[in-house]
Amino acid sequence: MARSLLDQAARTHGGRVIAALAARFRDLDLAEEAFAEACLAAAQAWSQTSAGGGAAPRDPAAWLYSVAQRRALDMLRRRGVRTRLVPDPPAPPPSAEEAMIDDARLIPDERLRLIFVCCHPAVAPDARAALTLRLVCGLTTQEIARAFLVAEPTLAQRLVRAKRKIAEAGVAFEVPGPEAWPERIGAVLSTLEIAYAKAHEDAAGAGQHAGYAKEMLDLTAVLAELLPDEPECLAFAALVRYAEARRPARLDDGGTMTPLSEQDPTLWRRPLIREAERLLHAAARCRRPGPRQLQAAIHAAWCDRASLDEPAPWSTVLALYDALLTWRDDAVVRLNRAVAVAEVAGPAQALAEVDWLDSVAFRDFGPFHAVRADLLARLGRRGEALSAYDRALALDPAPAERSWLERRRAQAATSPESGSRGGIAT
Amino acid sequence: MQYALLIYEDETAYRDENGRAWREIIAQHQAFAAELVEKGLLRGGAGLKTTNTATTVRRAAGQCGLHDGPFAESKEQLGGFYLIEAADLDEALAWARRLPLAGDGSVEVRPVIDGTT
Repeated sequence: MARSLLDQAARTHGGRVIAALAARFRDLDLAEEAFAEACLAAAQAWSQTSAGGGAAPRDPAAWLYSVAQRRALDMLRRRGVRTRLVPDPPAPPPSAEEAMIDDARLIPDERLRLIFVCCHPAVAPDARAALTLRLVCGLTTQEIARAFLVAEPTLAQRLVRAKRKIAEAGVAFEVPGPEAWPERIGAVLSTLEIAYAKAHEDAAGAGQHAGYAKEMLDLTAVLAELLPDEPECLAFAALVRYAEARRPARLDDGGTMTPLSEQDPTLWRRPLIREAERLLHAAARCRRPGPRQLQAAIHAAWCDRASLDEPAPWSTVLALYDALLTWRDDAVVRLNRAVAVAEVAGPAQALAEVDWLDSVAFRDFGPFHAVRADLLARLGRRGEALSAYDRALALDPAPAERSWLERRRAQAATSPESGSRGGIAT
Repeated sequence: MQYALLIYEDETAYRDENGRAWREIIAQHQAFAAELVEKGLLRGGAGLKTTNTATTVRRAAGQCGLHDGPFAESKEQLGGFYLIEAADLDEALAWARRLPLAGDGSVEVRPVIDGTT
C-alpha cells in the first residue's frame, strides 16, 4: 500500500520535485540524489504510519520535496569542505497551516526551466530527449534505454556526460529571453517530439508509458501557457492532445492495433479534442505557419470525423502532407503521405512512391515494410506482400502491432494471387 | 564564470594586397574588446600570428620532436582568443555570436577551470 503510494507519488510528482530542487540548487545530480534519498526515507516512514493505521502524508509530493530539500542541504554541507557553494538559507519547516494546504502548490513549478536546461543546444542531441525523460518525466534509465533501443550502460553514460556538460559549461537554469526563442524553442520542441513519439508508439498505453503520455500533456500545457505567441508550441500542444484523444480507440477488444482510418470516432475523447482545437486556432491566429501546425492539422482532419459512417478525410490529409513536404521533406513524411496517396490515387501509384524512397535507410524501420506489404497485397502481388510482412514482423514490433500484422498477413496469404494478370508474377 | 572564446578562421582571408581586411578586423576587435572592458568583463586575450609562424613541440613516448607548422592542419586555424567573465554559458555564447569574423569561421566557447574545485 505504502509502496504503491510512493511509486505513484514519485511517478506523478517526481519531475516537479526534481525540477524545483534543480532550480534551487543549480545541480542536477544533487537534485536527483536528494530525491532518491527522500523516496528511500518515504518507503520507511510511510510504511510505519500505515502499519499503525495512520495514513501516509496527505500530500506526498510536498513531503518528498521538503525531505529532499533537507537531504540536499545536508549533502551540500558535507561537500562544503570542497566547494564554496552556499545556497539560500533553508526554508523553515512548513507550519501546520502550510501543511494543510492541499496538493503540491508549495512546490514551485520549475519544470519549464528544467526542460530548457535538458534541451539546451549545448547538450548532445542524442542525450536531450533521454535527459528530459529521466529528469522531467521520471522514467528510469532502463525504461529509456528500452524505448531508444540502446544498451542501458550506453544510455547511462550519455546521461552522465550530459549532466557533466551542463554543470561544467555553466548552462543557466533559466527560461531564455525572447531573443533566443527561435533557436531554443526549436530544440525543445524537437526533443519533446522524440520523447512523445516513444510514448505514442505504446498503443496499449500500459504501464509506465501511460503516465508519461500524461506528463507530455502537462508539459505541453505549461509550454503553451508560457509561450502563447509561439504558434509551433501551441500546435505541438494541440498535436499531443489530438493523439492522446484517440488512445481509447487504438486497440480492439483483443488487444490488436486498430489503424486510424478504422478507429471508431465515438470512442475518442471529445474534451481533449476541443482543447486541441482551441490551441490550434490560437496558433493559426499568430499567422506564422510551420510544420507542426500542419502536422496538427492532419490530426485535426481525422478528429473532425464524428463516426465511421462519415468518409475518411484522405484527400484533405494528402493535401496537408503535400504542404508539409515543403517544410519537412523527410522519408517518414513521404512514407505517411504514400498511405494517403494509396487511398486517393490508388495503391499502384503509392507503391511507386514508396519504392522510390531509400530502402537502405528503411531497412530496419518496421512501418516501411508494413506499408509496402499492404500496398503489395492490395495489388495482388501476394508473394512479395508476404515477404514484406515477414520483414516487418522480424523487426520485433510491439504486441498490439504484431497481432495486427499477423492478421493482415494471414488475410494476404489466403487472397488470390492476381499478379499474373498484371504480368509481374512472383 | 570565466570562458575562453577561441577563434577559428581561414587566415588566408586576411591576405589581401593592401591589408584592408586586416585593418578592418582589427578595428572591429578593438571595438569589441572596448565594450567588454567597459562592462568589466574582459579578463584577457590575444591575437595570434598566422600558422606559418607556428612551431609545434610534440612529445611522444618521452621524446620531444619539433616540427614546423600548427598542431593540426585544417581549413580554419586558431587565430586568437578572448578570456571573458560571463554569468552562464548563454551569456558567453551571446558574446561569441557577436565576435568579429571576416567571413565564415567558428568560435569555440570553453569554460575555464576556476581553481576552487
